[in-house]
Amino acid sequence: MNHIALKMLMGDKGKYMGIVMGLTFASLIMTQQPAIFIGLMSRSYSFITDVGLSDIWVMDPKVQFVDDIKPLQDTELYRVRGISGVEWAMPMYKGLLKARLFDGRFQTCNVVGLDDATLIGGPPVMLEGKIDDLRRSDGVIVDIDGARDKLGKPSSAPGGKPIPLKVGDSLELNDRRAIVVGIAKITRTFQSQPVIYTTYSRATSYAPRERKLLSFVLVKAKKGQDLNELTRRISETTGLAAYTQAEFMTLTYEYFMDNTGIPINFGISVLLGFIVGAAIAGQTFYSFTLENLRQFGVLKAMGTGNWTLLRMILLQAVLVGSIGYGLGVGLTAIFGFAMRNTILAFKFPWQLLMFSGAGVSLICVFAALISIFKVIRLEPAIVFKG
Amino acid sequence: MQIKYILPFLAVAGFLFAAYTVISSNQPVPVAKAVAEPASAPFKAFIAGAGIVEAQSQNIAIGTPLPEIIKTVAVKVGDQVKAGTPLFYLDDRDTLATLAIKQADLGKARADVSIAKATFNDAKSLSQLAEAVTDRRAISAEELLRRRNAMLIAKARLESALALIQQAEAGVADAETTLNRLIVRAPVAGEVLQVNIRPGEFAQAGFLNTPLLVLGNLELLHVRVDIDENDAWRFNKNSKAVAFLRGNRRFKADLTLAYVEPYVVPKKSLTGDSSERVDTRVLQALYRFDRDQLPVYVGQQMDVFIEAQDAPNIGDSEHQQMPEVHLHDAPR
Repeated sequence: MNHIALKMLMGDKGKYMGIVMGLTFASLIMTQQPAIFIGLMSRSYSFITDVGLSDIWVMDPKVQFVDDIKPLQDTELYRVRGISGVEWAMPMYKGLLKARLFDGRFQTCNVVGLDDATLIGGPPVMLEGKIDDLRRSDGVIVDIDGARDKLGKPSSAPGGKPIPLKVGDSLELNDRRAIVVGIAKITRTFQSQPVIYTTYSRATSYAPRERKLLSFVLVKAKKGQDLNELTRRISETTGLAAYTQAEFMTLTYEYFMDNTGIPINFGISVLLGFIVGAAIAGQTFYSFTLENLRQFGVLKAMGTGNWTLLRMILLQAVLVGSIGYGLGVGLTAIFGFAMRNTILAFKFPWQLLMFSGAGVSLICVFAALISIFKVIRLEPAIVFKG
Repeated sequence: MQIKYILPFLAVAGFLFAAYTVISSNQPVPVAKAVAEPASAPFKAFIAGAGIVEAQSQNIAIGTPLPEIIKTVAVKVGDQVKAGTPLFYLDDRDTLATLAIKQADLGKARADVSIAKATFNDAKSLSQLAEAVTDRRAISAEELLRRRNAMLIAKARLESALALIQQAEAGVADAETTLNRLIVRAPVAGEVLQVNIRPGEFAQAGFLNTPLLVLGNLELLHVRVDIDENDAWRFNKNSKAVAFLRGNRRFKADLTLAYVEPYVVPKKSLTGDSSERVDTRVLQALYRFDRDQLPVYVGQQMDVFIEAQDAPNIGDSEHQQMPEVHLHDAPR
């Protein structure tokens, strides 16, 4: 019987392709759009994951997300350091500063100041130079994307690619000289501004005069210390907000979810993909069943039970569903692979593979159901009509 | 007919590639290691503070008593000096000239005394001659009186001339003192930490932002620890303290309290910039440490941890433990 079902399905190549195409595109849209969405959202907290080494972030209680800087007094660092259960606590400066480039252009940059002695919170991957090189006078480390693009020198030929910033080049931050001593690879951030790493004291001297300059205190808990207990203790003692890395990521992520149109936009795309996929696949599948009604009628007249017919239709649905799903996620992966070095945000977690699988299954179940009703209600006599 | 096999094959390949992408693209981001391991407190409950190393004598910013051009600088950075060693000489030509005048004045005054003495002797002998005459008729009373008065006047002149010597001597001493003040000497034994003057520069008297010369006693170093006023109540004079060198936590030293400055001062950012950045106040405690344990320089920053009682959680059962902790700390 299964053999007959497959024959029926693949008999009309055009129809077969149509169903598979419909499901492929449904699965493609349901995978690719959320992948871009997740990629974009993960960029909102990529800075937090890049820092990595610390367990807890301490900041002003009114901070809403990672780029919302509300500086603290310098002494708060020592108050946090003095809380039991804290292995170490390090200062971090993060702020937007204007860099004056080689040719006189201005570019807003994200300047990150690391603790002078330990340089904790540095860029994850160094492409050129070492993090230690920040100890050199006026040294800064620039991220590769910024160095190639926004901070690069304009090309000699008009309209050409900019010449990337190299180690040894200089720029000006608030009228102060900064020398590039290293190039780092970092995860792209949401705003995609060039990121400049330097030491804390140098960053504060680059920063405009302010009474408070400490953006975050990075805390490492002592071994065996319960993180939630420690965050509670820190915020109780100092009156500041303390989040674990995961909590701070969630805070940032939720800020973007609640305050930007991104989730709605992508949500609509995904929903449309689902509806269109469901409509095309369901409708094609249904019309395919309708055309094969005669064959089902013959089978029924020959005494085939409803249960067997149902199994045949389910087999057909599962087959086209799996093929469409496989092609769809494959195309998404190829898309992501092709775009891996571009500015496009793309992240493909395993949950998404599950999600689009569930979506395609739903479409198939829906398409199979309407066909099944038709076949079960079918009178075998139809074969002999007309 | 081929499509029968191609499509499922493509689908399987697509799914496998997607699975590969999922696995390969979701590797955790590598984490940058700390360049130097940060210091961490060896106590359960503690106060952390920034410390700055200073000489036990504190750093003496040497001033000049007189505003003058500098003639020579007698010491260089790192010199060990005893108390009273000349540090630098100010331009003394003016004062030397004054001294010469004063000395000439003294010579003149001395010569005047000789004249006065001679005059007095003359008047005295004339007077004595007249007094020696026994027959009162041989000399008139007027002559006698004139000679006696002349002697008294000469005596007064001599005394005045002697007083003038004293005055001239005082003048010379004054000039010599001024000359002495033009040599700036070390007030205590110590090491020259900084020299900010060169011959030919003008040394301003009064308080200066950049001291002319910094002197300190480096035999014993102190570390001055800033404790946030919010943590000041947790500070116990008898509790243990440890200092770590920045950049390498293997260098550490146990601290013993020297004294606590009872006046809570506004915190200055210890980056060396003198402009104050934050409006909090800090309690400053000074600790002694063994110099051999740390390769440390005056002015260097250190991370200091002081053992303390834990902050009690408000409305918590831990509240009752507090007196115990206190008792435990006190006898030490």
